Amino acid sequence: MIVIQNARLRSFLRILTLLLIPSVAVLGYFLLRGTGYVVTSVTVASLSVVLFLCGFDRRKTGSRRLVLVSVMIALSVLGRFFPLLKPVTAVAVITGVYLGMEAGFLTGAFSALISNFYYGQGPWTPFQMFAWGILAFLAGALARPLQKSRTLLCLYGALSGILYSLIMDIWSAVFASGGFSLPIYLAKVVTALPHTVLYAVSNVIFLFLMAKPFGEKLTRIKRKYGV
Amino acid sequence: MALLTVENLSFTYAGEETPALQDVSFSIRRGEMVVLCGATGCGKSTLMRLFKREISPMGEVSGEILLGGTPTASLSVRESAARIGYVMQHPEEQIVTDKVWHELAFGLESLGYPRDAIRRRVAEMASYFDIEPWFDKDTASLSGGQKQLLNLAAVLVTDPELLLLDEPTAQLDPIAAADFIDTLRRLNRELGLTMLLIEHRPEEVMPICDRLMIMEEGRLLAIDTPRRVMETLGTRPEILCGMPASVRLFHTLGENGTPPLGIREGREFLKASYANDVRALPHEPYTHGERVALSMKNVCFRYEKTGADVLRDTTLEVFEGEILCLLGANGSGKTTALSVAAGLFKPYSGTVRVFGKKQKDYRDGSLYRSCVALLPQNVQTVFLKSTVREELADAGADPAALPYDLTHLMARHPYDLSGGERQLVALAKVLATSPRLLLADEPTKGLDANAKRHLIEIFRTLKQNGVTVVIVTHDTELAAELCDRAALFFRGGIASISTPRAFFSENRFYTTAVSRMTRGIYDNAVTQSDAVSLCRQNGRRGGAS
Amino acid sequence: MKSLERSHPTVTLLYFLAVTLPVMLCMEPLLLCISLAGALALLFSRTGGRNIRTLLYFLALLLLIALVNPLFQHDGVTVLFFLNGNPVTWEAIAFGLCAGAMTLAVLCWFLSMSQMMTTDKYLCVFGALSPKLSLMLSMALRFVPLFTKRMHAVRLAQRGLGLYRDGTLPDKLRGELRVFSVTVTWALENGIHTADSMEARGYGTGRRTAYAEYDFHAWDGALLALILLMLALTLCGLLTDAVAVTFYPALVRAERGVLAALTYAAYTLLSFLPTLLTVQEKIKWHFLQSKI
Ligand SMILES: Nc1ncnc2c1ncn2[C@@H]1O[C@H](COP(=O)(O)OP(=O)(O)OP(=O)(O)O)[C@@H](O)[C@H]1O
Ligand SMILES: Nc1ncnc2c1ncn2[C@@H]1O[C@H](COP(=O)(O)OP(=O)(O)OP(=O)(O)O)[C@@H](O)[C@H]1O
Ligand SMILES: [Mg+2]
Ligand SMILES: [Mg+2]
Repeated sequence: MIVIQNARLRSFLRILTLLLIPSVAVLGYFLLRGTGYVVTSVTVASLSVVLFLCGFDRRKTGSRRLVLVSVMIALSVLGRFFPLLKPVTAVAVITGVYLGMEAGFLTGAFSALISNFYYGQGPWTPFQMFAWGILAFLAGALARPLQKSRTLLCLYGALSGILYSLIMDIWSAVFASGGFSLPIYLAKVVTALPHTVLYAVSNVIFLFLMAKPFGEKLTRIKRKYGV
Repeated sequence: MALLTVENLSFTYAGEETPALQDVSFSIRRGEMVVLCGATGCGKSTLMRLFKREISPMGEVSGEILLGGTPTASLSVRESAARIGYVMQHPEEQIVTDKVWHELAFGLESLGYPRDAIRRRVAEMASYFDIEPWFDKDTASLSGGQKQLLNLAAVLVTDPELLLLDEPTAQLDPIAAADFIDTLRRLNRELGLTMLLIEHRPEEVMPICDRLMIMEEGRLLAIDTPRRVMETLGTRPEILCGMPASVRLFHTLGENGTPPLGIREGREFLKASYANDVRALPHEPYTHGERVALSMKNVCFRYEKTGADVLRDTTLEVFEGEILCLLGANGSGKTTALSVAAGLFKPYSGTVRVFGKKQKDYRDGSLYRSCVALLPQNVQTVFLKSTVREELADAGADPAALPYDLTHLMARHPYDLSGGERQLVALAKVLATSPRLLLADEPTKGLDANAKRHLIEIFRTLKQNGVTVVIVTHDTELAAELCDRAALFFRGGIASISTPRAFFSENRFYTTAVSRMTRGIYDNAVTQSDAVSLCRQNGRRGGAS
Repeated sequence: MKSLERSHPTVTLLYFLAVTLPVMLCMEPLLLCISLAGALALLFSRTGGRNIRTLLYFLALLLLIALVNPLFQHDGVTVLFFLNGNPVTWEAIAFGLCAGAMTLAVLCWFLSMSQMMTTDKYLCVFGALSPKLSLMLSMALRFVPLFTKRMHAVRLAQRGLGLYRDGTLPDKLRGELRVFSVTVTWALENGIHTADSMEARGYGTGRRTAYAEYDFHAWDGALLALILLMLALTLCGLLTDAVAVTFYPALVRAERGVLAALTYAAYTLLSFLPTLLTVQEKIKWHFLQSKI
């Protein structure tokens, strides 16, 4: 894996990738009409994931932390099997809030990768990895306020449900039409509305009910075992 | 030459007042096999973890631990990992990866061995332990015995000098456990591997170990050959109850001198010292209550549509007020049978009746209200809250009404309890539903002999209060002591069922140590008190005493 | 010669990326046809008719995409008819069909890939890139079925304790959340023990080797070289616009002489390579079997 040792460069790259996907969506709309758009978007999504992960190998991560993140990944994959409520984003967000940004990103991204072993891999995998990863990453960045107020956390949950849907709609619009066009994107957004609402609502419900017990458990583990 | 030397070791957990270990000193020579015994929570696991600096618990340490002359604290983490192997208490939790071959390679991968070396060692280890047939399998699909064997092999690939094992056979059936211990003996004798072993199975380990260590409340009471330990400490009842049957019998009979150790010496002692004119005790009459508490008739059950039957035509009747013990090999279907009896799984044919009423006629969970309760095999599945107090309150249990005392544990997190304490708290939650039929799945696993005796008393009290109890257990001594009837489960059905004296005196392998020891001398002695009373009736040979 | 499935995982993975790249770059009809034919041939040669239902579902998706596009896209010079006052053009339909075909082709390729790339193969590839991530992935993969099983065990245990009191929906939902909560505690605590087990076996003391059961043989190298060569040739044709297509305002396919022919030939070989290898292996096996 690419090794970037300079921490500042790393965070710069991360901020860059944060802006990358939306800017490609917009730029592509003007410059890339039609062909080539699919490859570009898949590449960008994969690259963003890779950029986020680079340097991970070099840093010393205690094995307890590593295992805890694996546990959270597995729990969030389990969440995708839940009927109706799909607390994948919620589990990733909780990880971000309590175990830090990077853990959050890993949980989000890898639960997409792993759950797709069951639901089918495809070019959409990098998009999902990116979408879930980034939402959990941002939650980690906002950890302080989100830990304090349950209302804010639920709000963030609703927002992340909507954002996830919006990001994935870019993908389905691109893939369905071989290029990005605004009307098709908007149509996708409209047809995906029930899903969007479901995501948002289930995130809110799940976070409302589980954030506190989850947080207590994670805090206990952190305190008891010094993670 | 000493491989491991411990000098004045004391340890206190971070945030605790009382030390978990106090002033422990001993040394282990190269090639020795040492067994460590002691009551639940006396600090055995803590001591073992301190030897391996990378997994030492957090807290305050004083004293010295030397491995081959160098303090372990100054060993590099890498050296410590490679030179000391550690097999943990729970087989499932030790497994890291999803494939058997990867698990075997894990230690070597971590130490950065080249691929060729990894390949060679993995192949060798897989052949030695006969892992080849399941080399490509998922670790999740292994049986308990296989998992524990894999753990051992995965630790041995890095070729450690010292092997630490923490209750490796707690979940195994008697035959699998004997196999596992025999493998350990082979490793020790053939390869000269030094090992320190925590075990609650005196019959199997004591005859083969070189030295025995006894701990009590964080202190080392003795470390010496088993024989000498027994001579010096054998008179203390709480230690005696954890000793092999031959020793217990010897002391209970009031003999003096060196006690016999293990089945063979026990037989010789009995033959030489006691007559056997009266060979059998009268068979205890089996009387049972009028009502049938649980009846299973031709029950068939399988987990998957296309899988094999796990229960095949199981037929069983349990009468009100009796205690029934179910024994049987790992994977024979005991847990499944219990779950079906509790209505958690629906059989595809056959009927289950509880107190005369068909199971499906109990509506809306009324089966679980003051009627049936199941203590699951894995008690972790029971705990919901963050302290024992909340846990009991959640179940509506009144701590004062319990048959035992839990007050000192009230503020603890359920996961911070020792194995035995967890078992007791889970049982308290189950009893809070005030069942008339209690189904308990391996309630004594991981408990020391003293705690077991305590639990036997609890079940007896329940019986007196009219509760019907079905216990699944691997512990033949417990069954012989406690039950009204014992049953052997085999391939999804009851292979034999009778009163304990008849049951255990007819079995050759699935039987108590006393029964094996007295076989051919007395006909139906299965518990220690049986043997004692037969010996007393017969008197000493040659009128010596 | 080994089939693609039995080659080194890196080769298998790169093959699928290589074969889907050109059609995602350029929706040229002939190129799409080749790709689709290759993908279907591979599916059928490996598993026979077992995937028919999935394919039918994919086909419906293609038609949907083909039909939806003209409703939103009104560019193009050949107007066929008007719908609600909007022109429906032949170019938009053609574009829709091509986009649908591309989706179909990519889905088919990935269907084969999912069947060939088992999780341990991904781990082998990841292990070479990053041992740590690979280990994390491996653990998570083990935990998923483990936790599913445990969750079930917890559900049963709690039921046996009379957790579900009346069986109404809110009661059930509350029960499910409690079950999840217990599973989480158990999983986290368990995780710490697993971590201890890793450290006890030397994890994190230095550089990890990634031991995989797959060796990179000369054959894998040759196959990889062939794949990359064919991909390079195809890309040459696409990037120099020797093979290209524009849909708007009018449908124009560019096909320029030798280079175009070369491009098609290279892509055909690339697309049918795994089918050839599979068939070859099956014939060889049949031959060997008759000798036994
Ligand atoms: N992390 C911890 N923090 C505080 N106290 C602890 C911790 N772990 C264990 N203890 C306490 O230290 C004592 C010794 O525990 P240890 O696990 O060594 O017992 P053990 O002899 O191995 O028991 P068992 O036979 O049940 O495994 C116990 O009283 C236990 O409650
Ligand atoms: N949830 C399950 N799904 C499929 N098969 C199962 C399941 N649980 C158990 N089995 C299988 O059913 C058989 C009986 O298992 P069971 O747990 O009842 O055995 P047991 O007698 O309780 O063993 P042990 O002494 O190890 O507890 C085993 O072969 C096991 O592999
Ligand atoms: Mg212990
Ligand atoms: Mg069982």
